[in-house]
Amino acid sequence: MTALGGFLWLVSFWLIGEVIIYLTAMPVSSGVLGMLLLSITLAIRGGVPDTLAAAAQPLIALLAMLIMPGVVGVFFVAGELGSQWIAIIVSLILGTLLSVLTTLWLMRLLMRGQDVK
Amino acid sequence: MLSDSLLEQLTETPLFAVALTLAAYLVGMTIFRQLKQPTWLPAVLIAALLLAVFLLVSGLHYTTYQQGAAWLSVLLGPATVALGMPLYQQFPRIRELWRPLVVCLPISASLAAVYAVGIAWLMGLPDLVLASLAAKSVTAPIAIGVTQQLGGSIPLLMGGLLITGVVAIAFVSLAARWMKISDERLIGFALGLNGHAIGTVRAFEISPTAGAFASLGMSLTGLFTALLLPLVWHLLG
Repeated sequence: MTALGGFLWLVSFWLIGEVIIYLTAMPVSSGVLGMLLLSITLAIRGGVPDTLAAAAQPLIALLAMLIMPGVVGVFFVAGELGSQWIAIIVSLILGTLLSVLTTLWLMRLLMRGQDVK
Repeated sequence: MLSDSLLEQLTETPLFAVALTLAAYLVGMTIFRQLKQPTWLPAVLIAALLLAVFLLVSGLHYTTYQQGAAWLSVLLGPATVALGMPLYQQFPRIRELWRPLVVCLPISASLAAVYAVGIAWLMGLPDLVLASLAAKSVTAPIAIGVTQQLGGSIPLLMGGLLITGVVAIAFVSLAARWMKISDERLIGFALGLNGHAIGTVRAFEISPTAGAFASLGMSLTGLFTALLLPLVWHLLG
């Protein structure tokens, strides 16, 4: 039953995110807004309540399963792209390779002197 | 394979779609572990492939499945909020690195979009495709909103997100080895920034620290892109 209270925390922060987005018309998702608000609230409160941990841990572990139904849809749109799909895949793969290399290189450069392992 | 009347009976409640999702996920996880957790083939992708094959063979429409599975995907909201917990727990370690993070994030998050859109533009792809690929490194719920503002195609975006997430995992692990980087903070941040939720799931497999830095990278990239990309897009026409 402890997880139930924690689940209410999570849903409430998501709903608070919805209200803020409704009031400010920010182009952000309520999940991300709720995540930031939750971390700030925990910092002010100083510590994670057991009920919250009991709900958050299993949900984080299930994140992969929750994005799966959306991923399945991808296989059903591939046919609509015609001959463009090769160029699309090339730009995604090459673009991601370049941005991964840039991120790692830049972070290592910026973290110099901060005991990078 | 299944008769229409049976399918109709089974899909009257969302439970069939829920069971299919759970089953595909559990089988996908088992196969993933059997294959010794390959970085180039995440468990999500194995599970999604299994489910897609089942839908094709059984004759169940994707939209029917999706309507039922929405009962599960609604949990994506609270699950994203839950990432605030590891984020908070890693605050001291994040604070140590705030300067590099603040400098790196806007540059890397911008380049994540610029590289892909630039290459797609050089290859002569139409504006609709460019608008669909721009948010490819952003977590799905934010990316959908951004892509709508740019006038892109949502199914194409979802494909872009999947490919980006999967290759980001593979490239981060290859590049880290090649550049001799083993710092979990850096690897996690790169996974979340470039590979959104798929990269973040991978980072939690590495360690809670990597996961927290991935959550940070994912949420900041999402915020930054959501606030700036539509503006820049309309300025450039």
